Amino acid sequence: MKIQINGAFPYGLQMQNLRETHLWYILPDEVKRVALLKQYSELLSPCERENVNRMGGDQLKKRALLARALVRTTIARYQTNCEMNPRSLKFRKNIYGKPEVEWQTEDNFIPPPLHFNISHTSSMIACGVTVNVPIGIDVEEKQRRIKNNVIAFARRYFSPYEVELLTAISDPEIQRQEFIKLWTLKEAYVKALGKGFSAVPFKTFTIRFRPKALRSLPGSPVSEASEIIIDSSDDPSILTNNWQFALLEVAGGHYASICTEKDKSIGGEGTMPMKLTVRKTIPFVEDVCVSGTDAVVALGGIIEQ
Amino acid sequence: MASIAGSSLSMQPRSTLATTRASGLRLISFMNQGRNSLSFSLRPTPARLRISCAAKPETVDKVCEIVRKQLALPSDKPVTGESKFSDLGADSLDTVEIVMGLEEEFGITVEEDNASTISTVDDAAALIDKLCSEKA
Repeated sequence: MKIQINGAFPYGLQMQNLRETHLWYILPDEVKRVALLKQYSELLSPCERENVNRMGGDQLKKRALLARALVRTTIARYQTNCEMNPRSLKFRKNIYGKPEVEWQTEDNFIPPPLHFNISHTSSMIACGVTVNVPIGIDVEEKQRRIKNNVIAFARRYFSPYEVELLTAISDPEIQRQEFIKLWTLKEAYVKALGKGFSAVPFKTFTIRFRPKALRSLPGSPVSEASEIIIDSSDDPSILTNNWQFALLEVAGGHYASICTEKDKSIGGEGTMPMKLTVRKTIPFVEDVCVSGTDAVVALGGIIEQ
Repeated sequence: MASIAGSSLSMQPRSTLATTRASGLRLISFMNQGRNSLSFSLRPTPARLRISCAAKPETVDKVCEIVRKQLALPSDKPVTGESKFSDLGADSLDTVEIVMGLEEEFGITVEEDNASTISTVDDAAALIDKLCSEKA
């Protein structure tokens, strides 16, 4: 059954040329129609449906359902030749457990070098997509409270530099917000690496902001307030400058971190901006590009929207 | 409960509790000319497979309690040994907080490679028992 996705166009071709990063998100509270949820449910594999049903409670089930529906419908948009049925996509996990698409090999079908990563919190489900380079994303509610004391948690899991940075913040609310931002950045990095959390424990690397002079003109699409850089304390020879980050505030109440591998084929010094497009979606209903609106506020990283 | 170790589970070479790993002793029963025979063979356990005992019920209960608290679960939501953290709605931050809570409760340290193998309450409880017995 062919499914028409509103606004579908050959993203794949465009992305390959322009090396963009796309972020798609759903706000679960905006999706209520039972018929629509049923449509989403029909996209899932039997295994995915089983996983959804195992979740405890309606809210968790809905969240799990929307996550799978978002991944399937999003990836299905990126076709160069023909429309792909989101239901026919197959997924597998790499040897470390990171989900990836299992492209069906057919004659004349060259699988697009698409990478994706998803994250969800109770009020947002997000899917990041790139071409040719790995991506990791993490979203978190701005108001997220942790049960432990922030500094106690940071001492246990973050690097000494990060602990020091957080300790120096006297306002507890700002401290908590900076903690959440740091958490999402570290998560996004580990997920982009795709080797599992044990491969690169949080304590073994430091993420920090390096302020840059504001060179951008008013109205310029490039935000350059600060570059986000990463150091590995364990092994300085690890090429941590292979990765670039974006930290955003999305849809008012969420922090979103995106980490992608830098595309080596682009020469030149310095960091090319991450060309980012953010879209809010209700699959089969509407897609809205929110880049450049106040639904997306760049908080860190060199980003071009 | 069998757990596949693979490369992600760190196994301590010296285990003080013999029951937490398969000793390699296998009991084979076969019919030989109408008679039941029992044969013992000592065989090295494959490196990737370890059999661990079921976790102690009181450990499982304590883990359930900590999980409930972390996830703020209503009392009518069942949490058992088989419950998967993700099915209960735990995201990665919750899971890390749960592990931190278990460390504090039981006075242990859970390294990342161990933590990454925990997906159910039973997993956590079994790991706690193992770490506690090694501490003792």
